[in-house]
Parts: sequence; structure tokens; C-alpha cells
Amino acid sequence: MHWKSKLLAAAIAGIGLAAMAGTASAAGPTCKDGAIKVGAVSTVTGPADFSEVPKATQAAFDAVNAAGGINGCKIDYTIADDKADPAVAAQAARDLIDNKEAVALVGSASLLDCAVNSATYSRKKILSVQGLGVDAACFSSPNVAPVNVGPYTLSTAMAYYATNELKTKKLCAFFIIIGGTQEAYKKAIENWEKISGQKIHLIDLTLPFQGDLTPYVIKARDAGCDAVLTNQVEPQVVQLIKTVDAQKISGINWLFLAPGYTEQVAKALADTKQPIYVGTEWEPYTEKNSAANAEWIADMQKANRPLTAFSQGGYLAAELFLKAVASIDGEVTRESVATALHDMQPLTNPLAGSPYVFGKAKTHSPMQATKVMKLESGAWKVETPDWLVLPQAK
Amino acid sequence: MNALLTSAVAGLTAGGTYALLGVCAVFTYRLVAVVNFTGAAIGTAGTFALIALYEAGFPIWPSVLAGIAAGTLTGVTVGYIMTRWFGEASASTKAAVTVALLVGLIAVGLRLTGGQHPHNMPELFPGSAFRLAGVEVTIASVLTIGLAVLFTILSDLFLHRTKVGLNLRALADRPMAAELLGVRVQLLSLLVWGMTGAFTTFALMIIAPQRSPNFMTLSLLVVPALAAALVGVFRSFWWTLAGGIALGVVEGLASSIDSISQYRSAIPFLVVLAVLLWSQREARWDEAR
Repeated sequence: MHWKSKLLAAAIAGIGLAAMAGTASAAGPTCKDGAIKVGAVSTVTGPADFSEVPKATQAAFDAVNAAGGINGCKIDYTIADDKADPAVAAQAARDLIDNKEAVALVGSASLLDCAVNSATYSRKKILSVQGLGVDAACFSSPNVAPVNVGPYTLSTAMAYYATNELKTKKLCAFFIIIGGTQEAYKKAIENWEKISGQKIHLIDLTLPFQGDLTPYVIKARDAGCDAVLTNQVEPQVVQLIKTVDAQKISGINWLFLAPGYTEQVAKALADTKQPIYVGTEWEPYTEKNSAANAEWIADMQKANRPLTAFSQGGYLAAELFLKAVASIDGEVTRESVATALHDMQPLTNPLAGSPYVFGKAKTHSPMQATKVMKLESGAWKVETPDWLVLPQAK
Repeated sequence: MNALLTSAVAGLTAGGTYALLGVCAVFTYRLVAVVNFTGAAIGTAGTFALIALYEAGFPIWPSVLAGIAAGTLTGVTVGYIMTRWFGEASASTKAAVTVALLVGLIAVGLRLTGGQHPHNMPELFPGSAFRLAGVEVTIASVLTIGLAVLFTILSDLFLHRTKVGLNLRALADRPMAAELLGVRVQLLSLLVWGMTGAFTTFALMIIAPQRSPNFMTLSLLVVPALAAALVGVFRSFWWTLAGGIALGVVEGLASSIDSISQYRSAIPFLVVLAVLLWSQREARWDEAR
């Protein structure tokens, strides 16, 4: 409980400081037509649906608008559907920037927004507080800074957990490589090697998106892996564990990334005895009683939105953006928002284990902390009540 | 050597699947003259009916029967579209139509079944049959291969030894002539579509728990299955059976060799290419064109 009281004290001090800063300058953010225009590019229709993220951003903005806005300015939020189509994504971004005159992008979550549009964002000098960075470009562009840990840093973090907590000696990694993600995953493992001083026992970058997994689990067993890390998404997580059970393999810890952390996976794998771990992007969303989730849960319930990990990302992006805007003195424009984000002090939020900072770096992955969940008879249990923060590579 | 044997055995599960679906594809082609891309999707629709009922708490075997009925119905519906509107169309038109239907079925299927979210797929035949070269060969794999062999034998007998089989072959080769001779073309065609629908549904119910349980990946099993069918040049059931199993084994082998492992999903296409070249080896350029 000690850290909580500290946190509370810090929060109160923060509010005090903010209030003082407010009275000192007395200006705060202003806006021309009574509205601050903000956009998001998201895959809504198409092979995947990420709209839960910007819809939560919308809910957070609606709550602020209902309370009178920021300094009287209402947030005018537009979600553009990119249909997972590069041409549509490019068009959507141009429309938000040129026609809707958005001052920033907040809560975007898409299969390809960063890959397609990050060059446009740089050219137009607009910044994106990405609600869920999916493709590798989200973590390697000067104008995008996701509020999630992302698959690459999370791979490093889970590998770190395996060696530090599970005492793994022979860590094996199997990755599905889609698009240009190969280098990013290789780098993730290299980072872990630098941090842990260990060598990866086996790395396989040929895991198929569809197809039988028996040859791969046999390979992992015959190589003597103590732990296997993979980046598989929901259905493949289930398939992998079913294949492992069919092959009667035991003694391997199975480590997955955030896409495996869903209630459907837990239900589908209720009968397995395999040790299964996943790393989360934020405070575990299934922990409905956690204090860190309280505000998010209250706001989502008010807006009638489901309590999913995706909605945490959208909500967090909105909260961080609102704080950055509140620090602006004068008119809220694309330039003033960019300056505010570039010069911001690290912002903490209970949903995330690392403070968020945009800053002026060429690439951004501010979030470096995860909580590890373990599957126990059909439900996710928190394994690391404290945040597992990835140390800097030596 | 031992490692190679292990990975070859590990590929048997996939091989049985390809063989079984391949034999179904040849069966459809020989009886109603359609290269059917929707084969696996029809079975998937039935399988998801089973999953829906099972998740709703219905007992398993009645749900299996209902699932097979749903698969049969989907098969008959696709068959009705094909015979009603494309009965007289060329083989390539018919194939293109089934591709379009496949895309439609996947789109609708993914929406109805909650996209990428996994489902709790009941295992009809759990457990492992025996252990070979360090690999557990599951009862489901053995059953898949067994069913493929059984279906091969039955199809061969049915086509060559029965009156209905003869009628159906006539229907596939010359539908108009068959109709003039008094063969009930529409009814027989729908019967074939329904039968293959029922059979692929049952096959996919066995296969599904071992695969990634979502609508799209199951439906796309048709690609390696058609590669297997091509090994039998869409005529021979036995060659298709052998082709399907060989395809799975080669895939298994490929995943144990790092340098070629990443190209493993291209293997069905390489097989298709090789078979086409081989089957055309004696044709002159003009004829082949």
C-alpha cells in the first residue's frame, strides 16, 4: 500500500503544480471556432477490426466535452476507416490533415496506418499519439509515438521474464514474419541478448500463418527448449497449445505476446496443463478490481463501451493527449500541439507501467513495461503484480 | 536421418488432410465437372454450425449430425447455383465462379463467427493412436488418412461399378446428351453436391481441432487439396491420395531444414507447376496451347 500513498501524494502535488502553472500564466489553451479538431486512422472494416481503440478515445473525449471541454474548447473527433487498404489509408490521412484540419492524430489503430502514412505525417508536421501501434513503422517513425509496448519491445520483455523469473536456460523463439517485421523481431532478440548476456538457443522466423504446427513443436522439443516465445495471434495460440498437447510434450514454458491475452483464448484452452504466459500492453484489463483500472472502467461504463485491452489503448491515448493540450498557452494548432508533445515532461498514467513521452527522437517506443499473466484453468492470473520494466540494454 | 524421419512423420497429419480434401475435389470434378474451390469452405460452414451448437451447450453427437446437415445444405446451395446458372458454362468459368463464391463464403463466415477470435472446438476423437519416430500420431490423423483411403476405394467402385456412377460420368462429360437420354441431371448433380458437402463437413470436424480454428484458414485448406487433386490430374483417386500425403510429408521435411523452411507454403504451387510440366512433357507447343 506504501507505493499507493506515494502515488497519491505525487498526484496531489502534480495537481497543485498544474493549478499554480495555470494561475501563473492564466492563459491556457484557446481555440478559434470553439473546437479542437482531432483525427484517427483505423482499420474498422476489412480483415481485422481495430475500431475499439478509437471508439474508446471518442468516449474519453465525449466525457471531457460533456464537462465543458478543455478551457471551453470542445474536441471534434473524426475516425477514418482505412479498410486495411493502403490507397484508402493514404486518402483517409490526407482528408484528416487537409480537409478536416486535424491538429493531431490520437488513438489510431490500424494494420498499416504507420507504414503507409508516417512519411505524410512527417511532411505535414503532424504528430500521432498512436492508440495501438501494430506495424513496425509505428515504432520507427519520428512523428508516431504509440501508447502501447508493441510486439517488438514486448518480445524482449517476455524473453527477459523467461530468463529472470522462470530461470530459463534454453530460450527458443518462433516468429511469424509478415511484411517488413523480420528486422524488428531480430532486433528484439538481440536487445534481450545484450540485456541478459545470454544467447538465444534457437530462433525460427518461418512459423506459418496457417498450416499444421506439428513439425514446429517437435522441433522445439527435440532442440531441448525450456521456454518458447512466439508472436502468434489468438487462433494460432490455441492451435499451438492443442498441437503441443496432442504431442504429449511437457516441461516447456510457452510465452505469448498481448494478442494471446483474451478471454476467448482462456476459454478455448481451459483444459490444458501447459504453462502459458502472456505479456500485456497495459494494466491487465481482466483485473476488474484493480485501482489502476478504476477510472478507465468508470468512463467506459458511462459510455457503454466494452472493457477490452483495445479500449484501454484508445482511452490512454486520449488522456495523455488531453494533458499535453492542457499545457499549451495560446491557440491550439498543429504547431503548438507538436511543440507541446516535443517538449513534454514524461506523463504517468496508472494504466501503463512506463511514463509516456513523445519527445524529439527519430523513433519512439516510450512504453517499456508489461505485466505477465498466466493461464490457470481457463482464467488469466496476474504473475507479476508489480510492473516488469525492461532495463536499458548494456 | 532420424530427424528427417521425425519431421516426415510430423507432416503426416497435414498430408492426410490434403489427401482427403483432394479426393473430394476429384470426386466433384469427375461427377459434376466443376473444379470446386468452395469444397473446404462448405465443410467449414458445417463445422462452425457444430461449434455454435456445442458452445450453446447442446450435446455433442446430435450437434455433429446437425453440423453435417448444415454442411450438406451449404453444399446443395452452392450446387444449385452452379447447376442452375452455370450448368452449360465452360470449366474455367465454373472454376472462376467457385472462387467468387469462396471469397463470399469466407467474408460472410468471418463476420458470423467473430473474425479471428478462436472457438472452443470439440475434439471428436481425442488422444493419440501410436508413437512413431518420436512423434505422437493422433487418432484424428490416422482417421483422416483412413477416411481418405476409404473414400478413394468407394469412389472408384461407385464410378466404375454402379449404374448411378455411369449416369453421373455421362452427366459430367455431356450434360445435354445425358439429359436427352433421360438422366435426371439436376437431381443427380444436387445429390453429388450434397454428398460431398456432408463428407467434407465430417472430414473438417476431425481436422479442425488440429488447425487454427478460424473460418478463413480452414476454408483455404482447399489450395493444397487442389494441388493434390492435380497430382491425380483430376482423374485418378489413388494418385490424388498419394499426392496429398506426399505434399504433407514434404512440408514436414521442409520445416526441419532452415534454409528452405520459409518457402514451405510455396510447396503446393511448386507441385502444381511440376505436375503441369510433367503432364505436358510430350505435347508440342501448338497442341499444349
